[in-house]
Order: sequence, then C-alpha cells, then structure tokens
Amino acid sequence: MRYFKETLYDSVCQEFRIDKVYFESRTEHQHLIIFHNAFLGRVMALDGVVQTTEADEFIYHEMMAHVPIFAHGQARKVLIIGGGDGAMLREVLRHAQIQATQVEIDQAVIDMSKEHLPNHSQGAFDDPRANIVIDDGIEFLRNTSEKFDVIICDSTDPIGPGEVLFSQDFYTLAHDCLTPGGILVTQNGVPFFQLDEVTTTHQRMKKVFADHAFYSAAVPTYHGGIMTFAWGSDNPALRQIDRQTLERRFSDAGFRTRYYNPAIHQACFALPQYLLDELAEQKE
Amino acid sequence: MPGRKVIIGASDRESAFYEDLATRYGTPLLVLDRQRLIAQYRRLQRALPDVDLYYAIKALPYVAVLQTLNEVGAGFDVASSGELDLLVDLKVSGRRTIHTHPVKRDSDIRDALRFGSTTFVIDNASELNKLQPYRGRVGVLLRVSFRSESAVVDLSRKFGCLEEEIPDIVREAERLGIHIRGLSFHVGSQCGDAGRHVEAIQRCAQRMQEVNAFARAPLATLDIGGGFPADYALEGLDIEAFCQPIRKTLAELPADWHILAEPGRYLVAPAVTSITRVIGKSLRGDIPWYYLDDGVYGSYSGQIFDHARYPLQVLRDGPTKPSVLAGPTCDSIDIIAEDIALPELETGDLVIGHQMGAYTAATRTRFNLLPDARFVVIDHGNQESDAVGG
Ligand SMILES: Cc1ncc(COP(=O)(O)O)c(C=O)c1O
Repeated sequence: MRYFKETLYDSVCQEFRIDKVYFESRTEHQHLIIFHNAFLGRVMALDGVVQTTEADEFIYHEMMAHVPIFAHGQARKVLIIGGGDGAMLREVLRHAQIQATQVEIDQAVIDMSKEHLPNHSQGAFDDPRANIVIDDGIEFLRNTSEKFDVIICDSTDPIGPGEVLFSQDFYTLAHDCLTPGGILVTQNGVPFFQLDEVTTTHQRMKKVFADHAFYSAAVPTYHGGIMTFAWGSDNPALRQIDRQTLERRFSDAGFRTRYYNPAIHQACFALPQYLLDELAEQKE
Repeated sequence: MPGRKVIIGASDRESAFYEDLATRYGTPLLVLDRQRLIAQYRRLQRALPDVDLYYAIKALPYVAVLQTLNEVGAGFDVASSGELDLLVDLKVSGRRTIHTHPVKRDSDIRDALRFGSTTFVIDNASELNKLQPYRGRVGVLLRVSFRSESAVVDLSRKFGCLEEEIPDIVREAERLGIHIRGLSFHVGSQCGDAGRHVEAIQRCAQRMQEVNAFARAPLATLDIGGGFPADYALEGLDIEAFCQPIRKTLAELPADWHILAEPGRYLVAPAVTSITRVIGKSLRGDIPWYYLDDGVYGSYSGQIFDHARYPLQVLRDGPTKPSVLAGPTCDSIDIIAEDIALPELETGDLVIGHQMGAYTAATRTRFNLLPDARFVVIDHGNQESDAVGG
C-alpha cells in the first residue's frame, strides 16, 4: 500500500492513501503524480504538494472564477494564467458572454490533464470561445497589447515554477493589462500556515491597485483552514456590490453552482481577526 | 598517521573473483557490493535501535548506493542541490531527508523545499535570516561545535556554534517565528571510540533541558551526526561494542525525544573495493616502483583529503621488499604507498584496495583527464568470511 505524504511543512503533514496511480513523472526538478483516492477521486500533486482533487476542486475554481466575474458584471474578456488542468477555463466559460484566453507555460500539463483529469476541463479546451496560448504568463503580459476585464492567476505555490507569478513585476504588468476597473485575482495560499505569503502579496499589490483586498474559502485538501485569494482593482465599488445586484446577475447567468452563491460572495471578503491584525501591522 | 594493513597473496577463489571483474569490466574499478552495504546498514540499525539513520550522501554519492539504502528504509542527509538531484529519480519522499549544510544559498533552500526536505541545519543567527521567508514551513536543527582531538577528521572547527550561544540563537529564532526542533553535532569522522559522542549527547541534553525551561516550543530532536568508523585496519570492528556507550547514554534521555544520526563512512566504506592494475614498473636505486592505473587524484583521493590509509592487497605471494605504489598522473605526490613491503609484481598484476567506499570517488579530480574508475555494482555479500571481509 502506498501513501502520499505532503511535504509542505516540517512539523505537520497530511497523508493520502494512493489507491491507484494514473500518472507519475519525475523530471529534473519536478515530481508530478496523479492518483486515485477513495474519498477524493483523482488527486494531482506536484513536488509533494496537493494541487487539486476531483472532490473539492469546485470550491477553488468557482470562487476564483465567479467572484470577480459577477462582481465586475460586464466582463467580456477574461485571462487565465496557469490553470493547466482546465477547470478554471470550464468555470469561466459558463458565463455565456465571455471570451477566455488561457496562458499555460507547458502544453504537456494540458495534455496530461485532458487524459488523466478529464473531469476538470470537461471539454473546455475545445470550446470555440477559448484561446489557448502556450507561454510564460509574465512574458505574455509583457508582450500583449490586449486588455482584459478580469485576470485570474491560477498558479502553483511560490516556491517553484510559480514564483514569478507572485513578483512585483507580475502584479504591475497584470494591472496594466486590465481594462479600466478590471479585476485581478490570484491564488494566495493558506494563511494559517503561510502568513508571509499574504503579507508579501499585500505589500506588492497595494503599490499598484487603488483597491486591494483578500477574500477566502476553505478548500479541504489545502490543509490548514481557509485559503486566501488576492484581489486587486482600481474600482473599489466592485468589492461592495449589493446583494440584489449579485442575485440578479447570478440568476441571469442561468447556471448552477455547488459552492458559490451571492451570500457567500458577499461574506467571503470578511477576514478573520488574526489576518486583519497582521495586515494592519503591515501598513505602518 | 595510522599504519597500513597490507595483505600479500590471495586464495584461488579470491584471485579468480578479482581477475574476473577486471577482465569483464576493465580497470580501474570501484566495485560496490550491495549486500555488504545492506549488511552494514542493518548492523548499525541493530547497534542503535532507537536512532533514525540518515545516510550522509556526501560519503559516496552514487545512485546505486542511494537506491540500495532506500530499499531498506534509510533516510538521507543531503548537503547540496546536486545531492538532491540524485534522489529525485528514486521516489524518496522529502520527508525522509534532512538538509545538513550549515551555510545555504536561497536557491539551496528553495530547491530543498521543492523537493520536500523541510528540516534544515544552521549554526549561526545570520543563517536564520535566510530561513525567515520560509519560517512557516521549516524546522531547524542547531549545530553545536564539540572539538575532537581523537577523530581523524575534526569537523567542529569549521561548523557549529558554541554551547553558550544556544539560548540566544533559540531566542532569535523565536523572534523570527522559526521553530528550532533541536540540536545536532558532528564530533568528527572516523572516531576511535564513542567517548566524544557520549559527551556531546550529554552536553546537548543538558542544554536542551535548559532551553526547554524558557522556550515556547521544546527542543526535542537530537542529531548525533556521523563519525562511526570504518575498519581500515581489518581488525574486525565491532560496531555493537562501539555503539554500546551511545545506546546507554541515549537511554537516559526523555523517551519522547527523536534521535537521528548521519552515518556516511561506516555504511559505505567496506561495501566498495578498488581494483587497479600495475601498468608499469621501474627500479629506482634498489626500490621497485609500480605504477597503477588509479591513484590519489582518482579513487585514492581520500588519502589526501580524508587522511585515510586503505588496506591494500596483492594477489601474488613471495618474498617481499620495500616498494612504492604510485598513481598514474604526472604529479610526484601521486603516490599511494611508499615503503610498503611487497613481493615482486609484474605489469598487469592487480592491486586491490579494501574499505574504499567512503570519501574516495566522492573527492576524485579530473587531473590529467585520466578516466575515472568504473563503478560496478554486484550482489556478492557472502564474502564476509574471507580475510578481507572485515
Ligand atoms: C554534517 C555531516 N554529517 C555526516 C557526515 C558523515 O560522517 P561520517 O562519514 O563520519 O559518518 C559528515 C561528514 O563529513 C558531515 O559533515
């Protein structure tokens, strides 16, 4: 019997039983494994860290896609950076009016996900409204002349290949690729264990966005309680959309969700006190 | 400098064994016997039953060694990103590794974390600053210096903080939000007896108890390093007896402490045998000089860097006279043994180096661009009863 032990923290680790290995590769500096777990379905882990599971991916992807898109209200063009498993694209494309561009650094990740995590993309890569670009996310931003209403950064952890997607340059470039009042959201880790990720992002994003905040959701296999998503926009009103408006936009969109709803949307910007205190300290 | 053990002559079976390897693979060779390696690991495990063993990769950084030790459940002491790369292919979980280099670059830390190695050794407060960005993820062992005059290789001069510095470093770590798990030491390599280990364990235990009186999170891990000797004299080293005082001292520690060791030399030294060939001979004065196809710039580099004197064996028997065994490079320090009593050898004869696993190939150079000794892996094991078994 094999077990997968997460290697994020020295003193604490979660363990998953591997019921079947679908795919495993070890290349130079990277270890990727996709396996089946009786409770979680297919689980993908990179470098000892769980990236996504079939059982709880909906929480992460719905919250990263629908919160900014419903908050914006008029989004037509959405850019996804990373997200090679295709689930973010799947959620974004549920908004009928949207044209999505996805920039993934490695075609192999997409191919591997289509084969071994088919329930993540559910055919989204073949949608005519999807434009898939194979490029380094930060290079794409540097070179593109396109502007986007919403940019979603679905990156890996900042130690490793996703590192540049947490840099000051990245936030600045992303800001400059937004339409006026556009929104950037990024994956920002589990603050209970990785408080520094929140404070570092906070320092960097507040330099380039008139309005910057975090929102949260608890994704069970991202062990440690809530995870945060960073939010940046030059329009502070987008964080304060009233409930009625959100209800109307959600019902107009005409699709069902499993985690997201307008009440969650409004509530998710409330942060626990330990986070507020830490962020307040950063202001001084 | 300890004397050198020389074996003159060999049984027919032994000779056939070496000749066969030399014919099959060419010379120079380094032959790893996996069974011997496993036996060493099991012996040390039996001698230190409550200690988790992390093989110090630096002693012999070969995939076959790591693979063999991985199969029997060893952990790994990693000192560089290059050593980590060797583990990547082996499906070793980062949780079975510790990163022990006290001085690290940011890239070393990041490489280790990506691999899943989250325990780091430091020995000064400035190193804490480098770990600060990763404080939520890492656990730290603080290396303490205990100078050793009895060890052949003193490893506490270059690294290790003073005992008196421990409380301040722990407080500084707490201030930075970094968890110090415990202490580590390395009393030196090739220790004659376990006296220094015992003393260091006792002193560390006392310091840990003192720190635990004020620390927010208790120190509860003690890493007793390496230092377990190889049997270069072929006297039949008894590791059980060597470790007995260590076991006794460890038994006095709190039962919930976690004890680690980082053995290198003891595990690999006897598992590797060097096979070289005489490629030329001459008489200087009345001293015969024999030139081998491997020397101190190659597999015998440990004679320079590690101060080792490997047991040598010639297969031929006969009356002996003082001779010189020299390596193949053009440098005059490339001499393996001077004033060594040997029977007359002929070009083409084999010269065998025993106990040649630790700090041999690991430190060889590219000097003269001579070919490296070929590394060959066998499963022999049952040679234990031979004279060379050790
Ligand atoms: C930090 C550390 N650990 C372990 C070892 C291995 O020691 P030995 O080969 O004596 O077991 C060394 C050797 O240099 C070392 O520096």
